[in-house]
Amino acid sequence: MPPSGGFDAIKYKRNLPLRGPSGIVILGGVTALCAYGFYRVGKGNLEKRELEREKVWSRIHLVPLLLAEGDRDAYRRQQAALAREKEIMKDVPGWEAGKSVYNNPKYRPGEWVVVL
Amino acid sequence: MSGRYHDPSEAAQPYSDPTPLPNNVPKVQELGATSAPLKSAAFFLGAYCKDYNEDFMLCKSENRDPEHCLKEGRRVTRCAIDLISKMRDSCAAEFEQHWSCLEKHNQEYYPCRTPERTLNKCMFEKFGLVKTIPGSPEGKTPIHEVRNPVFTGVQK
Repeated sequence: MPPSGGFDAIKYKRNLPLRGPSGIVILGGVTALCAYGFYRVGKGNLEKRELEREKVWSRIHLVPLLLAEGDRDAYRRQQAALAREKEIMKDVPGWEAGKSVYNNPKYRPGEWVVVL
Repeated sequence: MSGRYHDPSEAAQPYSDPTPLPNNVPKVQELGATSAPLKSAAFFLGAYCKDYNEDFMLCKSENRDPEHCLKEGRRVTRCAIDLISKMRDSCAAEFEQHWSCLEKHNQEYYPCRTPERTLNKCMFEKFGLVKTIPGSPEGKTPIHEVRNPVFTGVQK
C-alpha cells in the first residue's frame, strides 16, 4: 500500500551547486596578478639601481675628507717611525733611515707597522 | 719595545702612536663627525667643497704620498668643518633629525625621505645648496624626490 499522501517525488534532477569562478576567470586573474607583480619588480629594479647610485655618490663625496684625515695620521705615524729608526740605528755607520729598499722614486706605503 | 714582530691585526690593543705631528705642519682641527652625520651631509659637502675636493683628488692622483697633499687636505677639512658648523647653526633640527633617522635605519637613505626632504629644503633656502646625484637618468625624477617609491621602510 502506498503511504498516505503518495510517494515522494523521484530525485532525478542534477544537483550542481555553483563551483566558483570559471577556469578562464582564474587564469585571467592569475595572469593579471603576475603581470602587475612583474611590473612592480621592474620598477623596483630601476629604483634599486638609482638607490645604489645615490649610495655610491654619497661615499664618493666623502672620500677626499676621509682621505685627508687619514693622510695626516699616516704622515704623523711615518714621521714617528722615522725618528724611532734614526734613534735605534744611530750607531750603525752608513745607515740611511727611511730609505726604500727599491730603486724606484714612486711612493709605496710601508709594509709593516710597529705596534706600541 | 720588544724585539719580536707583532702583527697589528692580532694586537691586544689598537695600534696607536702618541707622537704628535711635526711642528712644521700647520695644525688643523679634525672634523670629528661620525658616519651618520657625514652621510647626511655628504651631498652638500660634495656641492659646497667641490673645488677643494677636486683639487685634493687631483693632487692625490699626482702622488699617493701622504706628505704630498697635506696642504690640500687641510683645505678640504676646513671646508667640511665650515659647512658642518653652518648646518648646525642654520638647520640644526632638520640635520639632527635626518642623521638620527639614518642611524636608526642602517644608514640607508630610502627609509628617511621625510626628514631628508625637510633638510634639503632648509639647505636650499639657507645656502642655495641642492642635492644632485651625478649620472642619474635625465628627464626622470631623481630618486630622492620620487613621491611614491617601490622601496620604502618596512616600518614608517
